[in-house]
Amino acid sequence: MQCRSVLTRIDALRTHELPPIEETAVESHLKTCRSCGASVSDVDELASVVKALTVAPTRSCKSECADSFDRVGDVFVAFRGSGIRMISTGNADDLRAAYAKRYGRALEQAPIPEPLRRQVEAALEGEGVDAPRVDLEELRDLEHDVLQMLTRIPRGQVRTYAWVARQVGRPRAVRAVANVIARNVVPFVVPCHRVVPSVGGIGNYAFGSAMKRALLEREGVDVEELERLGRQHVRYVGSRTTHIFCFPTCSDARRIREENRVPFRDADDALEDGFRPCRKCQPVAA
Amino acid sequence: MHATRVLSIMKNSWTGGEATGQPAGGAGENLAVAVHRCEAGAFERLIDQFERPLFNYAHGILQNAFDAQEVVQDAMMRAHRALTRQYDEARCAALALRPWLFRTVRNLSLNKRRSKRGTLEQPLENFDDGRLGPFLSRQGSELERKEEVELLRRAMSLLPVDARELIVLRFMEEMSYAEIARTVGQSEAALRGKVFRSLKLLRDALEQKGVAYAM
Repeated sequence: MQCRSVLTRIDALRTHELPPIEETAVESHLKTCRSCGASVSDVDELASVVKALTVAPTRSCKSECADSFDRVGDVFVAFRGSGIRMISTGNADDLRAAYAKRYGRALEQAPIPEPLRRQVEAALEGEGVDAPRVDLEELRDLEHDVLQMLTRIPRGQVRTYAWVARQVGRPRAVRAVANVIARNVVPFVVPCHRVVPSVGGIGNYAFGSAMKRALLEREGVDVEELERLGRQHVRYVGSRTTHIFCFPTCSDARRIREENRVPFRDADDALEDGFRPCRKCQPVAA
Repeated sequence: MHATRVLSIMKNSWTGGEATGQPAGGAGENLAVAVHRCEAGAFERLIDQFERPLFNYAHGILQNAFDAQEVVQDAMMRAHRALTRQYDEARCAALALRPWLFRTVRNLSLNKRRSKRGTLEQPLENFDDGRLGPFLSRQGSELERKEEVELLRRAMSLLPVDARELIVLRFMEEMSYAEIARTVGQSEAALRGKVFRSLKLLRDALEQKGVAYAM
């Protein structure tokens, strides 16, 4: 065996990781070659010195990775770091079970960070929560996109399931989107109650239609008006002065005067009449 | 040509019990299954066991504690997702956990490094395979030893990234060549040469930094 081949095998020889034949060949070479023999101690020395360079993290990533829960008002909230990950109206065990099923993680009880507590309380009270701090990163694509989209529906307004499906780029997956919304892991904080059927009315809710109605009314939505429009098959309202049409609950639609208000059953009718879709509530894809 | 075959070989290299026989991997085999089954505290145990070595490895590649921390956290979250949601139990049971985690950190670290700077360092080829030369550790005072570690650290940062990572894996984490081969995806024979050349480079870098050697 040549010196060159021997040198590269010295380190593997120290830990007996060479095939038996190579091991004997290297060992017999080392006995006869002084230069290579010296290299054995070189490798040993450097190898032991290098160990001193081992670095350790200053803080563990455990706290960022740890999943905790706490009670806020009448609900239990699961969170990680500074993001809300699940809300349950049941007891702590319900939350634990649902959490393990959804995220595959166990939960430990720990005090919730104060900003998060205030945010959840505000959401439960029906006060405006701008950009709720939710951690949806581990949810699957559609679920993640849909819940993210829901956070953009302003307080006091409603959108349709079809609108949400279109906004997340899956216009034909209305049913799938509705299922995701029905299984919203962070109810109240991500406002799934602000999504209603296209055909009118307010539709169903995980905690019952009565609760959805109460939540919407508390936010200032005129639910009776919504139901009345639904019975008349009116989905959009336009303004005669601006020739813009909106969802009925859009903040701009609510400012249209009674005499200028034009009801539409279909977006195509509105477009044919020379109306353009509102840029805020986007009743038609931009 | 046989892209699918290569892929399947790579995939299969994670299964098979041989590499789990390592000290850290011995408990690791059950740990992957425990995490898969969502046993209480299993993931915390995984973090306890692997966080420091993984951080050390990421730091070896990135030479930056903040980035290394970020990479390790990301790797942990990815590992958890894979174990609980993507892999079935059989695959978790057959998984060589340690090289798998190290490889995750390796890929994430290299991605991070690539996105941070455009220049590539000298690759670890084309170096002569002459004698290494001894490293004379000074048996001096506390201060001198600290100085020496600092010199070593600086010498390390001069090395190309593949040399750094091999030194970390082989001499700090004391991985076997078989495990390193799984982690970096190269043959053991190739790695033997590269590890030696890495040591040689480190020694040369130390000499540049003015550490005394006997010739």
